[in-house]
Amino acid sequence: MPEPILKLAAVEKSFGTVRAVKPLDLEVSTGEVLGLVGENGAGKSTLIKILSGLHTPDKGTILWHGVDARFESPHHALQAGIATIHQELAYFPHLSVSENMLMGDAWPRHFWGGVNWRQLHERARQQLSRFDLEISPEISFRELSSAEKQEVAVARALSRQARLLILDEPTASLSEPEVERLFARLNRLRSDGKALIYVSHRLDEILKLTDRIAVLRDGELVANYATRDADIDRIVRDMVGRPLNQVYPHRRTKKSGTPMLELENVTRAGMFRDITFNVCAGEIVGLAGLVGAGRSEIGRAIYGLFPIDDGTMKLCGQRWTPSGAHDSLRLGLAYLPEERKRQGFVADHSVNDSISIGFSDLISRCGLISRAGESNRVQRAMAAYSIRATGPEQEIGMLSGGNQQKAMLARWLGREPQVIILDEPTRGVDVGAKAEIHSLIDRLADSGKAVLLISSDLPEVMGMSDRILVMHRGTISVELSAEAATQENVILAASGLYHAAVR
Amino acid sequence: MLQGRISRPIVQRLVVLLMGTIILLTVIGLLIKEGGSFFEVLARAGPNVAPTVLAALALTGIIFTGAIDLSIASMIVVAGTVFGILVFRGFNPVFCYAACFLTALTLSVVNGCLVRVLKIPAIIITLAGLAFYRGLALVIADMWVPGFSGNISVHDDAYHAPGKLYAGWILLFALAVAGTWELFAKSPRRWLALGNSEEACQLLGLDPGRVLQSAFLVSGLFLGTAALIYVTRVQSIEPARMALGFELQVIGAVILGGTNIFGGEGSYAGSVLGAFFLYFVLELLIYAGVSPYFQEVVTGAIILGVIGLDCGLNRRRKLLEELK
Repeated sequence: MPEPILKLAAVEKSFGTVRAVKPLDLEVSTGEVLGLVGENGAGKSTLIKILSGLHTPDKGTILWHGVDARFESPHHALQAGIATIHQELAYFPHLSVSENMLMGDAWPRHFWGGVNWRQLHERARQQLSRFDLEISPEISFRELSSAEKQEVAVARALSRQARLLILDEPTASLSEPEVERLFARLNRLRSDGKALIYVSHRLDEILKLTDRIAVLRDGELVANYATRDADIDRIVRDMVGRPLNQVYPHRRTKKSGTPMLELENVTRAGMFRDITFNVCAGEIVGLAGLVGAGRSEIGRAIYGLFPIDDGTMKLCGQRWTPSGAHDSLRLGLAYLPEERKRQGFVADHSVNDSISIGFSDLISRCGLISRAGESNRVQRAMAAYSIRATGPEQEIGMLSGGNQQKAMLARWLGREPQVIILDEPTRGVDVGAKAEIHSLIDRLADSGKAVLLISSDLPEVMGMSDRILVMHRGTISVELSAEAATQENVILAASGLYHAAVR
Repeated sequence: MLQGRISRPIVQRLVVLLMGTIILLTVIGLLIKEGGSFFEVLARAGPNVAPTVLAALALTGIIFTGAIDLSIASMIVVAGTVFGILVFRGFNPVFCYAACFLTALTLSVVNGCLVRVLKIPAIIITLAGLAFYRGLALVIADMWVPGFSGNISVHDDAYHAPGKLYAGWILLFALAVAGTWELFAKSPRRWLALGNSEEACQLLGLDPGRVLQSAFLVSGLFLGTAALIYVTRVQSIEPARMALGFELQVIGAVILGGTNIFGGEGSYAGSVLGAFFLYFVLELLIYAGVSPYFQEVVTGAIILGVIGLDCGLNRRRKLLEELK
């Protein structure tokens, strides 16, 4: 057994009252690939940020080469030899590949002090060629494909003499052959004696690449075993861990309504292709899949935030060519965005304003908002959706995540839309508010609305939906009825392994 | 050889501006009447446009980082007032020039420190500076010039050397320095990196605050030179009215030159060409006999036109990139 290069002992980290990482022990050795898995919110990202110096742990020790280390900044971690390739590539799109690779380093100079560009590009070219990358170091970074960007990222990390390389979802935007190439590269690094931590939702990749698997759940390390002892079932069991302990609303007796939203072979290059499904009145259809599989993109395309390349859509039986959010709302289609903080509201607006902006045209006359009508509707909405605030004048940013989300729902539902697309409606919401939002969604369907529920929260999709569509790399890989869906099935389908496993 | 340093959209903008300037000059040449000389138009252009070009060079580096300095005109006013006071007190011209230059430089560095220490966006700090510095100029003028009634006269020709005699040469020298700076310095590349992604800078171990501060420092050097030329061209320094709206003219030149107002992309060469282009547009209006009332209207329309055209051409590419 080789010496562990990195050893975490009782490391923990809280944000406010949220304990993102509970006391946790973990080891990584040289020449080893550790797979880190867990559902969204299990604490993987926090752990990575601790290791890469973006967060400092509240308690516990990090032993690096057997020495107590505290990484105060990414700079420290890098110098110590820990390089992290973050999920959202942290790069300078407008600068050249060379500059992206060497920005933190000293640059070669002419005798009079000017940057020697020829040598700079040459140095970058050497580093790239060491990884058999035939990328011109002179072109701008944004001209590279996703795979090339990823490869440059790996080359950059390793050019800094990293001993431990952390990769966070590196394959999210790569195609199969590109993934193969990346794996070949990572395997070579392993035999060179580097340590790797590989974070992915794609369990097939985890099984294929790693030596050991650590499973996180709710900030705790719940399992840690050699990959050869693992199979998909076991990992999934450990990831999910619990039965559906959240209480889901009583399953509705399914009424066969008319199709309200229909998509046929809808394609958008680079995002999703050949998407065909419908959502009927009174039905909740879940859209599951990994981050980056194209779920939110479909929601946004239906809402008209960007055009589709091919295929037809129908809304309430009519041919639907969305021209933008304004039209969509007018015709009875509402979309609750995924990131409410960025896309949904302005934090220091009042609850009143945040809700009423959704239907201000309905309560105004000659361009002036009727104050009485507004406060009347807002009061009713706050009661109906049990939004807990000190009053309609409170800043929405002060509310809890759950109440913010209910306010967002109240905003759009004030227009009585017939088709509702919910993108991650309960992300970052506590359990109580989650149950309330769930019963709200259920009531919506009961009153005959068609609901498309996009969610990464597996128990939620399974508990709420009448049908589940699972996406894998831009296509719908499987459609499961509520009865046929198990967490294992959905995870398999999302990793593209369903058909193989069923066969 | 420039590959990897100036991106394609910037080169595209440079070519557009260069061709635009050539067309403008050709038309001006055709419009010159008897007795006028085309060469004279060119020779006059340098000194006339020097303050704008130098101020545009000053602002370019700051805009690279995604910050902005709205108080450049007010800083020139303070520098000018300091100059005026010293002239009034009869100091040696060289000492007055140095004080003028150093005042602008210091204020720029102060702006940089404030942005870094207070962690308030540069646009807000320098918006406050825009009002504050002009007020400061009036206050110090009132304090140190007995009987100050709004202006300080500088009649002695001994105090007009940089603006009236050497402006063209100073400009040429500054352009040579800026050109070398653009092609061979690392700092502007860091500023662009900061404008691209502050997070990425941090992850690579760069200190964003220091990078930003260095941009304000270098900006101060160009701004000091701009101030020196600006204030030594006039006979009378009026703190309340001097250089009013100058910052917008300069921002116009930088934006026209292809520098992204939100940072991360741009070039010094573009800012220089942008300033010259705007100058020759106004020059053309004069030769074409267009009413001076139209000048501002045309300036606005030109900025909108050039950038609108460029955005239209690049729209599809940009959309695709954003979706990637």
